Amino acid sequence: MKIALLGNPGVGKSLIFNQLTGLGIEVNRYPGTSVCLECGNVCYKKEKIEIVDLPGIYSLDGNSEEELLVRKFLEQGGAEVIVTVLDATKLERNLYLFTQVTEFSPRVIAVVNMIDEAERQGLIIAVDQLSSLLGVPVLLTAASEGRDIDRILPLALGSGRVSALQVPYDHHVEAALKSLEKTLGAPRYKSLLALQGTGEDRMLLDAAGAVAHEIELRHRMSVRQIIATNRHNLSRKIAGSAVSQGDRKKTYDLDSLLTRVVPGVPILIAILFFLLLSVFVIGSWMQELIVQTFTTYIILPFTALELPPLVERIGFSVLIAIEAGLGIAFPFIFTFYIGLSLLEDTGYMTRAAFLADRAMHRLGLHGEAIIPMVIGFGCTVPAVMSIRILKTRREKTIAAFLISMVPCSARTVVIAGIVAAFVGIFWAFSIYVIVFILIILTAVMLSRITPGEQFGMIVEMSALRKPQARLVLAKSWLRIKEFLFIAMPLLIVTSIALGFLQYFGVTEAFEQLVAPITVTLLGLPEYASTALLFGIFRKELAFETLAVLSGTADLGSVMTAGQLYTFAIVSVLFVPCISTIAVLYRQLGARIAILISVYTVFLGLTIGAIINMLIP
Amino acid sequence: MQPSLREDYLEAIQQFSEKNARLPRYEELAVILGKPESMVRSDMEDLVSSGDVSLLPGGVIALTGQGRECGESVIKKHETLQCFLSEILGMDTTAASDEACTLEHAVSDETIDRLGQLIVKQDGIGHHCWGRKGRQLSPIKCTVNDDDCECSSISDCAEGENVIIHCLHGRACAKRLLDLGMVPGQHVTVKRKLSDGALVVQVKGCDVALSPEIASAIGVERLS
Repeated sequence: MKIALLGNPGVGKSLIFNQLTGLGIEVNRYPGTSVCLECGNVCYKKEKIEIVDLPGIYSLDGNSEEELLVRKFLEQGGAEVIVTVLDATKLERNLYLFTQVTEFSPRVIAVVNMIDEAERQGLIIAVDQLSSLLGVPVLLTAASEGRDIDRILPLALGSGRVSALQVPYDHHVEAALKSLEKTLGAPRYKSLLALQGTGEDRMLLDAAGAVAHEIELRHRMSVRQIIATNRHNLSRKIAGSAVSQGDRKKTYDLDSLLTRVVPGVPILIAILFFLLLSVFVIGSWMQELIVQTFTTYIILPFTALELPPLVERIGFSVLIAIEAGLGIAFPFIFTFYIGLSLLEDTGYMTRAAFLADRAMHRLGLHGEAIIPMVIGFGCTVPAVMSIRILKTRREKTIAAFLISMVPCSARTVVIAGIVAAFVGIFWAFSIYVIVFILIILTAVMLSRITPGEQFGMIVEMSALRKPQARLVLAKSWLRIKEFLFIAMPLLIVTSIALGFLQYFGVTEAFEQLVAPITVTLLGLPEYASTALLFGIFRKELAFETLAVLSGTADLGSVMTAGQLYTFAIVSVLFVPCISTIAVLYRQLGARIAILISVYTVFLGLTIGAIINMLIP
Repeated sequence: MQPSLREDYLEAIQQFSEKNARLPRYEELAVILGKPESMVRSDMEDLVSSGDVSLLPGGVIALTGQGRECGESVIKKHETLQCFLSEILGMDTTAASDEACTLEHAVSDETIDRLGQLIVKQDGIGHHCWGRKGRQLSPIKCTVNDDDCECSSISDCAEGENVIIHCLHGRACAKRLLDLGMVPGQHVTVKRKLSDGALVVQVKGCDVALSPEIASAIGVERLS
């Protein structure tokens, strides 16, 4: 048996999912998309039930990756029962999606969640009335308190049924649906999609296109608008007769602070600054702890074994890679993800998007783009994936350039490990300042030359909530797991490759080849070029490799402060790592991926050369 | 008088005055319709009493407002039918015109409308077929939420104002807006407005943040 949770973003689906399945979650990336499907198994009455958490969507007839995925899931009857999760405080708007789900005629139950919040707002929901209007069983839950979550499974498995609810569309639309069904035998939901220009069946699309055009002429309104209006009207009717407003408790509206320019913007800047600072401080401290422990208890005993040189070399490379991975993943990325999940779960991110809208417009983007940019401080790869929330290619291109330049955790490691440790903490922050200035300059330039149009922000502000520690941790864990699975193997493979290359003297040949650039232009020692090259695999490798090649962890003793500073800034700006290039290629094509790589190499070398010249 | 005869007269008078930029006299009308002048005179009296035409000195015939409306509508029907018969069904032009003369009296306005749209859709045909550039006959083209709407935009509203969405132009046609309930007829409240025109609006109990360029494309009716 398989059941799926479906609903608007932010209705508490993930919380319900987490409570139903516990922590045994698998994340499946859907083939060909960057959308994640979370699946988990539970045992109910000695039967294995698979639960799928579908991505949050507002509608079923759009063309975003999430919507396509959910639509396909429903079309193929991906689950025996669909549990539609509705937000009790926004029932009317949530029912809009419900009216669309019923068009696919799956077996359904409706879970009206956040009933605790609705009670606080004095909303009274008549369950029986709602259930008879929707034609499916209705359950009231409060996931944040865990109230009645255990009743979801029995209800879904026992009495999920196909709803007879049908949206009464405008009579011209209904006529079109009838004639499409008669002539082409298309089911109602397919014809509705085709009238809005979506679908794969050419015949149906052509026929529907002709009728849609006629309807638009009669109504002076697009078919999309007509259909959406009809659905909203039905939702209003249902919500109107099932929800009544009782006494409302007066609560303080935090938004009167958060969404005004003053003090909203200072708060936003303070929050982001605090997030970065705490990642920097906590990360460096924890990394040192991990690296020290790892070196003392694993690496030193290993070198003491005195294995044959090649074996030792390879074993050493693997260990170094694991150390680097752990040294980054937990201290920096995990800390960052906890902060990020906190921001998301409190609902603050949407406020940040609203406030940042104006500034982002100057950069050729809009408010929503701040979300991928902030994610970019953690890891560039998921940040690039999340640019799918931007609508036009122009915005995606600009955002991709900027995200590739945002200092991710791995680059933070380089800055913290080299500059903060050997040059000074203020010099470390100056690198951030330089990078931010370059990001802004790049954005201003790109917004002038990138073709295409800009689309503004349309974002639903999620309600402000108290974050749940359990959920924040679960979410961060899921994200870090993803990082470990993608990054760790790559880290180990590249580290072994480096070991081999060094063993056979290839790196030396390479160093000779690019010596003019490294030595003359940047004023760095020859072996720094290999370190930079390996920084392409993973940024922090630049730091690790430098330590390995120079033969000491005390970099201050072999390189001058100026050299270390130059090295750090070049490796921070220099080409995004190879995984980033891969996702850039997947999201935006080879051209943009190459352009970004070339641009960042150029930028890194130029800035490095300038700094080298400025250093006395 | 038979309705079809009345329509023929009105059509002929309207057509004559459009073509010659002056009003016809009895004898000219008689020639066009191929009827004896005496018969035309007596029919005109009937039309005067039904309020369709007025007689001017010197035997000049003028249409009243009601008469002109009817005449124009018959001409439109005639042209549309003739165009449909000749261009789409491929009939001979003269035969099409003759047949249109008979059909024009019985056909409903909706049928004509739909035929008109059908013809426009067949690329280019509309042009050479409608001699007089189509006039009121030319069906509305790509006017789904045209930009000439005169209602004020939601970005002109102040914080706290209640409005009803009237229309969505260009950008604002975004699917996401519709999904969030921003459809014509919906009540919304402006909750926050920043100096650059970015808005937070409350719609169906949810807060939605909008960029200035999106907000300015949402036409609203202001209450109070």
